Amino acid sequence: MTTAPQLEIRDLVKTFGGVQALRGINLQFAQGELVGLIGPNGSGKTTLLNIIGGYYAATGGEILLDGMRCNGRSPVELARIGIGRSFQVTKVFKRLSVLENMLVGALALPGSSRREAEERAMAVLGSLQLMRLAHQPASGLSGGQAKLLEFGRIMMLHPKIVLLDEPFGGVHPDLKRFMYDRIREWNAGGVTIILVSHDMGSIFGLCQRVVALSYGDVIADGLPEAVKADPAVLEAYLGDHHAA
Amino acid sequence: MTRPNPVTLIIALCFLLCLLLPLGGIADYWLYTMTIGFYYALLASSWSLLVGYVGRISFAQAAMSGLGAYVALLSAQYLGLPPLQGILIGTLAAGLVGIVVGLLTLRLHGAYLGLTTIAVSEILRITATAEHQLTQGTRGLPAPPLWQGIGQTGYYYVFLSVLLVSLGIMILLLRSRVGLFFQAIREDEDGAASLGVRVTLWKVLAFSLSTGFAGLAGGIYAHFIQLIAPSMMSMQEMGYILSMAVIGGFSNVVHAALGGILLQWLLEALREIGEWRLVIFGVIAILVLRFAPNGIFGSLEKRFGRGRP
Repeated sequence: MTTAPQLEIRDLVKTFGGVQALRGINLQFAQGELVGLIGPNGSGKTTLLNIIGGYYAATGGEILLDGMRCNGRSPVELARIGIGRSFQVTKVFKRLSVLENMLVGALALPGSSRREAEERAMAVLGSLQLMRLAHQPASGLSGGQAKLLEFGRIMMLHPKIVLLDEPFGGVHPDLKRFMYDRIREWNAGGVTIILVSHDMGSIFGLCQRVVALSYGDVIADGLPEAVKADPAVLEAYLGDHHAA
Repeated sequence: MTRPNPVTLIIALCFLLCLLLPLGGIADYWLYTMTIGFYYALLASSWSLLVGYVGRISFAQAAMSGLGAYVALLSAQYLGLPPLQGILIGTLAAGLVGIVVGLLTLRLHGAYLGLTTIAVSEILRITATAEHQLTQGTRGLPAPPLWQGIGQTGYYYVFLSVLLVSLGIMILLLRSRVGLFFQAIREDEDGAASLGVRVTLWKVLAFSLSTGFAGLAGGIYAHFIQLIAPSMMSMQEMGYILSMAVIGGFSNVVHAALGGILLQWLLEALREIGEWRLVIFGVIAILVLRFAPNGIFGSLEKRFGRGRP
């Protein structure tokens, strides 16, 4: 018996003026998958995340979440129905404390109480080893700590699907391993994760499935080892000569 | 137990002193000056609510005060309402215009937003000047007193009470989750939206609250000075409000209010040097922006511990 996909992308097209960033792609994601999205610069990875997250409107096609069409919904609505995302350049609220950063999303959800949100925020900060910084301004965090704080803020939303855009950029290897563990924990809890990264070690070490994009098309989709060996992927990254 | 910040205690003491000032036999002239100081304090704090907390720049605060004043007087005049109801209508009108301006400028930021609010401000001022039959143009529109027999001390306490209650409402709001959303929007709109914060709603609400408080200040001020003219909506007036908020500290509504009182007092104390006092204002504002970007009170409070309502 096949289960219905949690997130389905049908014939998705996005153009910016004369540039076609996505050329009618089709993808399906089952609940609890940890999927890596790779591709050379300009292949459409971040554009795809931005459309799923509601930051860009699709030019054509549709996106279904649990069978429900969610094109045209704002990032606010999508966050409220369970799509969390991190950004390539972190968007922490620098003049707010680390704890306040955590509370924003929790308190934006309907029916949340401040006390419960604070208790949960402290527990999440504890799991991210940020508890001692809870009352410090977020401006004092290192780049890696800011990435962790973004993780924490997303966790406060109780997301169904998490979109991670280059979470390992500029992060120390020790911290990177710590982030892998948190991502695996999340995923083990049934959260679907779509991870965009240029860090192939992280993608192939973490993900159960890898999707490769090139010039707005899906050129490979499957198990990490199969995608890694796919001639189309090698060509996209290394050019004709090496692929041959 | 956390020890209270000494600067916060001094600020509380200043407001307490304001409550007792008329009992000390202070001259009517200084009561008058302080009353106008409370008017500017409300304008400066309501401006800081929008600029300091939500990060939305506006140069229309003086115009919104004027709008509140004109609507209060005209509605009282044409609908036969008592002054207090007129002031309420003026406040609502300014708040409503704030919603419209907030919606129109949703996607604008920085210089574009600032220039748009200048345009709105000038449209309102020129309309008040041009609609001579309605507003009596630059001759000014006379206003009755707030109530018969109210004296200088009465106005002093009315303005002080309105200022304190307004500051109380602003502080309660800013300490609630709404204040957190405002600041998240100021820091990063996309980041806030990604966490489910209704950015449009809170940006428009902030605009409306800020202009509503300005309209309230303008409505009471009209009955206090008993003659309003389009000049109360000028860019020079906006410059005063901006300097007051910057010098007091526009990241905090109370600091901005204190800036309003302090600078109005200074304006009068330096009256003998004429226009040069405005030059001094400008120099102080530049020095504060350069060396104490949190404003005088914000910097003091930071020096002695973290402070934010």
